[in-house]
Amino acid sequence: VTVDPLDPLEPPAVDRRRHVADYFRIERWEPPDETATGPLTMEGRTPIDPHHRGPGGGLRTGALLTVVDTLGGLMSGLAVQPGWTVTTSMMATVAELSHRGPLRVTGRVLRQGRNSVVSALQVVDEGMGDRPVAATTMTCAVLDPAGMALDFERPLVFPMPPPTGDERTVEDFFCIEPGEGPVTRLRLEDRLRNPWGILHGGALAVLADEAACRVASPAGRTVAAADTVLHYLHPARTGPVEARATEIGRDGGRSLVRVGVHDAGADDRLVMLASVSVVAV
Amino acid sequence: VPATAYPPPDHILRDLGIRVEVPSATTARARIPATDHVAGADGGVRVGVLAVLVDLAAGAAAVRSLHPDWMATADLTVQLARPASGPWVEARAAVLRRGRTTLVAEIGIFDVDGPTGDPPDVAAAPAGPESAGEQVGIGTLTMAVLPARPGGMRVPPDRDVPVGWSFGDAGLTRPLVDAIDVRVLDPKAGRLSMPLVPYVHNSFGAAQGGVMALLAELSGLTAVESATAGLVGPDAVTGPAVARGLQVAYLALGRVGPVTARAPLVIATPDGGGRAVVELADEGAGDRLTTVVNVDVAATVPAGALP
Repeated sequence: VTVDPLDPLEPPAVDRRRHVADYFRIERWEPPDETATGPLTMEGRTPIDPHHRGPGGGLRTGALLTVVDTLGGLMSGLAVQPGWTVTTSMMATVAELSHRGPLRVTGRVLRQGRNSVVSALQVVDEGMGDRPVAATTMTCAVLDPAGMALDFERPLVFPMPPPTGDERTVEDFFCIEPGEGPVTRLRLEDRLRNPWGILHGGALAVLADEAACRVASPAGRTVAAADTVLHYLHPARTGPVEARATEIGRDGGRSLVRVGVHDAGADDRLVMLASVSVVAV
Repeated sequence: VPATAYPPPDHILRDLGIRVEVPSATTARARIPATDHVAGADGGVRVGVLAVLVDLAAGAAAVRSLHPDWMATADLTVQLARPASGPWVEARAAVLRRGRTTLVAEIGIFDVDGPTGDPPDVAAAPAGPESAGEQVGIGTLTMAVLPARPGGMRVPPDRDVPVGWSFGDAGLTRPLVDAIDVRVLDPKAGRLSMPLVPYVHNSFGAAQGGVMALLAELSGLTAVESATAGLVGPDAVTGPAVARGLQVAYLALGRVGPVTARAPLVIATPDGGGRAVVELADEGAGDRLTTVVNVDVAATVPAGALP
């Protein structure tokens, strides 16, 4: 598969800072009393529209991690201004795969160093009386934002975006090609790039989720990704992006899957390593 | 046993009977015997003990890539597909990325038949992902790169590869949990305490990262077992719980002790398992938060309950 990363069929006027957050309609805000020293906490909410729901009945784990990353990345970036951050790893334990929604995410910075920011983010299902859904820990590397404008009005408040009219499934939104088996491909369309011009980390999270589920779902078995570890090793710039999944083992209704994600157009470089536990639903 | 100051004669790494092999400058293997003293309720080696093994294997794989810099573990994960029941368990580490400030390693966890020799015979040992054994889990580890300092520890990149060594034969005469003197203060809250003594020190003289993971495992298990005690129905066929996954973020070194564990978030499920978020604090250093760990807990199936 060869795809021009600057696909002319894609609308060029996508705001890369908002595109993914708008699709998931993510609302984000920081407590007003913490802006003086940088946000130690931040909260967000996503409604789970019907086209966002995955095989477990709720927001699939790759999409959940996208939402968490969207909030946690912003929180980490604000914590190191005038610098900015890029996510390097996410570790998530997911207890509930069926959600009523909306989901609320509460994040706090655990450690803010010269080179990295470590944050903890917990997710609850407001529609189920704040039932705990997941606990995640993410690490971001601190970057020099160079010439990128990163001015925010504080305290930062992003209201919940209205429906965009884009009712593609999560897999379609992130350009994951239909298929089955151990190899899952993603077309790197221009709208999937983040402000740095590289593939959005959320796209890689959903790709790893989908790849793990495909390799762990023999005929007749519906599965969903649960506990997930992601290590972003290199930026994916060229594409197509290919996830190669290997089932390490299975115990009862649960499989453990290793996913290596490669940028096929960039010397097949390994850009992400994921380990995903997949459960029958 | 190498003639170095670390680990000291009475140390957890020696009691575990760890054998290490470094076949190349970016890979390493570490093995332990899967004895009853390091096993959980399912008979497999505890994930916290596997964290010790993963940490050691990744460190051995990383140290030459980092020269002249040194390292500290920033995060570590262990996920098991099934119990690591041995007879020996091996962690096989490979460096995936060496950046300016971090290094990332992947670690396969395998059941293997036995040690490779005494001392370990690196030349005769299988190498690479195709080598013998059955994979039972996967680990990942991120090292923070510590810039070289005069007089600091370092290993030249081209020295002694391949090389192997042993920390000694397994010396545990009681369960490891007893050997590290963990005390349960409040089971429901996952509150546990562990003294910080040289037996569990790392090369910095602080709490060894794998041991911290083990303490978190015990805290999460205790909290989830307490929370599920009233949830599991009378007809449920479940045995004691075991941890099958750990996600560890190291925030600061535990230097003074005792180290206390608490589980501020516990999610219990009706099947006897659940999740816990465990925080470890250095009580003697103003209760400083040192480590945050997500623990995945599952109920075992008791013997005789299988079809």
